Amino acid sequence: MRGAVIVVGSIGAVFFLAMGLTVGLWEALVLLIGVAFISSMLWYPPHVMRIVGAALLAVFLFAFLQTIAGTVPGAVIAIVLAVLAWRFLPVRVHRRVGFMVPSMVMLIFVTTILMYMAPGSPFAQEKQTTQQALEAQAKKFKVEKTALAFFGTYMKGLLADGTMGLSVKVQGRTVEQLLMPALPVSMSLGLLALVIACFLGLVLGIRAGLKPNSFADYSSMGVAMIGISLPNFVIGAILLVIFSYSFQLLPVAGWGTYGHLILPAITLALPYAAYIARLARNGTIEVMQQDFVRTARAKGLSEQTVIVKHALKGAILPVVSFLGPATAGIFTGSFVVEKLFAVPGMGQWFVTGALGRDYSVVLGTAIIYFTIITLFNLLVDFAYAWLDPRVREEL
Amino acid sequence: MTEPTTNVQAIEKGTSLWDDAWRRLKKNRLSIVGAVMLALVVLVCAFGPMIMNMSHDGENIVEDTFPEQANQAPSASHLFGTDELGRSYLARVLEGGQMSLLIGLIATLASVIIGVIYGSIAGYYGGRLDEVMMRAVDFLYGIPYMFLVILIMLMFSDAQRDSPLPIFFALGMVQWLTTARIVRGQVLTLRHQEFVQAARVMGAGDMRIIFRHILPNTLGVVVVYATLTVPAVILLESFLSFLGLGAGLTWGLLVSEGLSVINPVESYWWRLVFPSVFLALTLFSLNFVGDGLRDALDPRTRK
Amino acid sequence: MYRNLLGIGAVFAIALILVGITFSASQEEPADFRFINGSEPKSLDPHVVTGQLEGRIVDSLFEGLTFRDPKTLKPVPGCAESWDISADGKTYTFHIREEARWTDGVPITAHTFAWSWQRLQEPSKGHEYAYILHVIKGAEAYNLYEGHVERLVGPLEKGDTIVQALAKLRRENPGGVDRATWSGFMRDQKINDVVKGTRDPVIQRALLGADGRLDAGFLEQLGSSLEREAERRRALHTQAQEHFGVDEGVYAKDDRTLVVELNAATPYFLELTSFYSAHPVPRHLIERLAAERKASGENEGKEDWFLPDNIVTNGPFRLSAWRVNEKIRLERSETYWNKESIRLRIIDAFPYDNTNTALNVYLTGGADWTPTYPTSIVGALKKRPDFRKNPGMVVYYYRFNCTKPPFNDARVRRAVAMAIDRQLIIDNITKLGQPPAYRLTPPGLGDYEPPPAAWGYDPEGARKLLADAGFPGGKGIGSLTLLYNTNESHKAIAEEVASQLKKQLGFQVKALNQEWQIYQASTLALEYDIARAGWIGDYLDPNTFLDMWITNGGNNQTGWSHALYDRLIAYAADVDTFLPDAEKVVPELKEHDKARALVAAVSSADGAAARVDAAARLRLHILREAEAIFCDELPVVPLYFYVVSSMVQPYVKGFYQHPQDIHPLRGLWIDKEAR
Repeated sequence: MRGAVIVVGSIGAVFFLAMGLTVGLWEALVLLIGVAFISSMLWYPPHVMRIVGAALLAVFLFAFLQTIAGTVPGAVIAIVLAVLAWRFLPVRVHRRVGFMVPSMVMLIFVTTILMYMAPGSPFAQEKQTTQQALEAQAKKFKVEKTALAFFGTYMKGLLADGTMGLSVKVQGRTVEQLLMPALPVSMSLGLLALVIACFLGLVLGIRAGLKPNSFADYSSMGVAMIGISLPNFVIGAILLVIFSYSFQLLPVAGWGTYGHLILPAITLALPYAAYIARLARNGTIEVMQQDFVRTARAKGLSEQTVIVKHALKGAILPVVSFLGPATAGIFTGSFVVEKLFAVPGMGQWFVTGALGRDYSVVLGTAIIYFTIITLFNLLVDFAYAWLDPRVREEL
Repeated sequence: MTEPTTNVQAIEKGTSLWDDAWRRLKKNRLSIVGAVMLALVVLVCAFGPMIMNMSHDGENIVEDTFPEQANQAPSASHLFGTDELGRSYLARVLEGGQMSLLIGLIATLASVIIGVIYGSIAGYYGGRLDEVMMRAVDFLYGIPYMFLVILIMLMFSDAQRDSPLPIFFALGMVQWLTTARIVRGQVLTLRHQEFVQAARVMGAGDMRIIFRHILPNTLGVVVVYATLTVPAVILLESFLSFLGLGAGLTWGLLVSEGLSVINPVESYWWRLVFPSVFLALTLFSLNFVGDGLRDALDPRTRK
Repeated sequence: MYRNLLGIGAVFAIALILVGITFSASQEEPADFRFINGSEPKSLDPHVVTGQLEGRIVDSLFEGLTFRDPKTLKPVPGCAESWDISADGKTYTFHIREEARWTDGVPITAHTFAWSWQRLQEPSKGHEYAYILHVIKGAEAYNLYEGHVERLVGPLEKGDTIVQALAKLRRENPGGVDRATWSGFMRDQKINDVVKGTRDPVIQRALLGADGRLDAGFLEQLGSSLEREAERRRALHTQAQEHFGVDEGVYAKDDRTLVVELNAATPYFLELTSFYSAHPVPRHLIERLAAERKASGENEGKEDWFLPDNIVTNGPFRLSAWRVNEKIRLERSETYWNKESIRLRIIDAFPYDNTNTALNVYLTGGADWTPTYPTSIVGALKKRPDFRKNPGMVVYYYRFNCTKPPFNDARVRRAVAMAIDRQLIIDNITKLGQPPAYRLTPPGLGDYEPPPAAWGYDPEGARKLLADAGFPGGKGIGSLTLLYNTNESHKAIAEEVASQLKKQLGFQVKALNQEWQIYQASTLALEYDIARAGWIGDYLDPNTFLDMWITNGGNNQTGWSHALYDRLIAYAADVDTFLPDAEKVVPELKEHDKARALVAAVSSADGAAARVDAAARLRLHILREAEAIFCDELPVVPLYFYVVSSMVQPYVKGFYQHPQDIHPLRGLWIDKEAR
């Protein structure tokens, strides 16, 4: 163990020094304290962890609730919920919370530092403006001069006012007001893509798995491989050429009707459909070689019954475990598709925010993405526990 | 399959594992086809420009082909056609391929090195250290990888942009997480094996045990995962190119340039098709080879 | 097993229901006219917006004293039904239309305008286009002087004031400073910005580089001059704060009479009153919302009166929806005084920024007008009947970094300018018959006559110049970078120019693209050898292309500095200051005979009107002389003048071509039969 401490300690020291030299000593120090805080929780005894977990939950809930319910009711609800959590929730949930909430703060901090290290400013214009105008705008939009100061202002806004700050590039609305309409757009696109991916993937996979090494297998897997091997913007372009330019069946880009949803959803779904197809194929092959399937066939059950009762089961099990990462991936990985089809979703915000140095927008998308991914990981864990009692013990 | 665990059987057989794997790999027709295709693509990209005497024709405008030969469809003189500056698309595709493959290789290598070291330390020492280190990985998993890549790319972009170093770094930085997890899982089970205990009894230091005894046994899994990381990295770079943040002349850049000339009026189809085909072929073969390797090295998944 | 199936089925069902709900609410009436606007507007507050794409929307929502006639773009009566101009051209009296109303019925009066223009100049707001109305008396003092004083003498939160920095410089260099040190000092301290327009001869001399070495005595004198200048500006600011918008500069004589006093006769003032920055804003709404925000403790930056839920407008259209990244919908305003002249009922503006998406949406019938398209296929597009083009008021050029070799030598810059085959680029890359640029100002700027061309495409001569400068065949010049911001058309041109320079001059040039923000930062910090840029004229006058090149001007970004040039630009801003200096300056000019005649014409003019006229002609000549200097020195190499173009469906009527590339939506209509 001593070896480990020396190794990790020295790596950490080098890392800290490098950080200090590149981003500044104070920034590195804050980062170090954050890491130490999160790590230290591993050593807390259960009763301390419960208190810390509940306190962090209260802070998080308050920041979230006060915009919906107002400051005082928000605080009351947050405290009540936190007390309930402290009393009733198992300590493993508190450990999760103790990880998630500080992690989000760390994420905000790291993202802020990275953004401030990139050259440029949200107020940069082709035609130069007076220094005074720039300063007045920076003050108005609370864009501070240093990353540390910005982090402070942002966290204060988040905790005290429950706001994600102001966008410089699309003014008049707070970041949460801008992102809230974008979230359901990305969600509906993602959900539809998920449905398509599962359906397509299962059909191809089972078709391939029922007759391994046949034409059906090779053709299905070939299609799946294309889905994995081509960037999805190329697939999108091919779909556009076929459905929009040649037959003019579907709109090229935009949002507002069901037609606008189809091509982006298919484009987004295909790579995932391909993965699902491969998983489903392996699962089907495996299950079809089991003795009970042979018995079922020997008993003279129709092929259809065999497929529905057994092949499907073999195909679905591995797919279920893939659904968690796939869903998170689809929701957060859609910005190429959103850009290609001009879909007004979350992904667009992240890309334009980062390119335009719209700091608050970038942080807002980061927070939402991080929450989605972490929540999905949590959901998947619980789903496993529900499906497989053995896991339940470990969680 | 996402968390491959080791196979005791394979370790007991010792060196014959690799012979065994090779035998199995040879039987996998798709993988062999993939490997051959991959080799061809790599050879053509690496030596094609040199043989055809067109070093950097893909980047520089050749005065005697511009402007007369701009936007030419494929023909005998320009196998892949030309772009709007009269540059041979063959040269561009091959040179783009060099960069794409290089990015795939180096970023993967970086991710493997970081991931293996990180994962083996966490797995070998276990306990709280392991928990802390894996929490860091969990944290980074919570950030969309594209987000990190873009931020890192922006951060480094004031340095000379024609240097591909930032993109190696950025892509390496997001790809090591899974390697680290896999290696940790492997090491976690390996460290209690008899041969490790034996080495320890004989007085071998931690580092020696990790590097001489444990890591070689994780090699198979790492190789498989690395083979599948290369296509992922190349694909990721193409997304970056699409967003205008790519690393110069790559297949990704060519493909996204090709996209802008596909429309109902006049399409220069060759500008999308050729780079896409090369890109797809490469990723296709890499995926097949990776699958084949996995089947070959990890018999548990085979039946 | 069935549990799994059930679970998946449930997820799918919920998914589809959610998707259905998202869409069921969004079915709306189809628009008469749809166009691709190219990006999301930053704001719809006329004082905040700065871009063409925002201008399209804002000009449709709001109407100033005058507006641009869609066909001619000449100012015609808007909120003001008529106006009188004083004989000296310095005072405008506008008579506000009786029926001018906001959409909520509140009348628009002269007070509305006085308040709006004062708001535009409000220093704490940081309005970027406040300078548009700095021609008004007291506007600049109100807007900027407080900040100038702060920079000059403080108090500052951090760092030195200019006066302190100057004292430090003097202490460190007791023997005075040379011109290079002084230039660096001026650039670091951005002195030019804070003493712009000063009449103090000492400061003027310092700004012009002081013709060589600056001794300690002069620096001391300069210090006290700057302090005096600060005092003067402080007084002017205090006065403006009291009077600007109340009884000076712009003020309401009564509800329907607005008086505007200008610093000098400004022939293009009515163009400015048509510009979106001069539009009125609804004071009653803005103040009510500000009070509400204050009461609820919300951030001042969240000024949101221009969102669809709040906004009131006075233009031909009203804002019916603004769904960010999706579309903006305008509907014809029923309260507009001249609503009968508006023929479009509903307009949709799409913010798609991808040019390929824009074109394809247009081509598949999803939009009726797209100003953007992928430039690489312009060759195919220009043959189509729905492709419209017109010479534009934009110049495309490459900046040289004049602060370091080899481009600190004007001969090398000229050699590059002479070695580039512009026609080849125009014929094969830009392809719209753009006029090649051998000077800075595009053709068609009113009465302005540009100076005769001093040079042309001449690779042989270029090589000779290069050899004279000490770099025969490009030897001795290391590898150079040609910087451009990521864009396919810039890229093609940059690569072609790099290849021509290699072939003609033996330069090793690497075309290097940078993402826009970084490119901005690089050019500002002069971290480049050659860098691409373009300049869109703000108004039809050569000054808009020339005044940015003064020493350390914010948009100069080349490090170039020329004393006489700076002085000429200053004279052009106020011709009256030229007359006393004429004796001294005229001999330095190229066409001094002509200049002398024009000076004589001004002094011998009888009647105010004739004098204004003669002064205008003299002013244009001063600018012509300035451009002649510019074309000799070439801190930038002009490549071509833009041709503005767009794709418009043939059934869209009332769409006219102008160099300014402005197509007011109010003039458009749809020929239903042709559709």
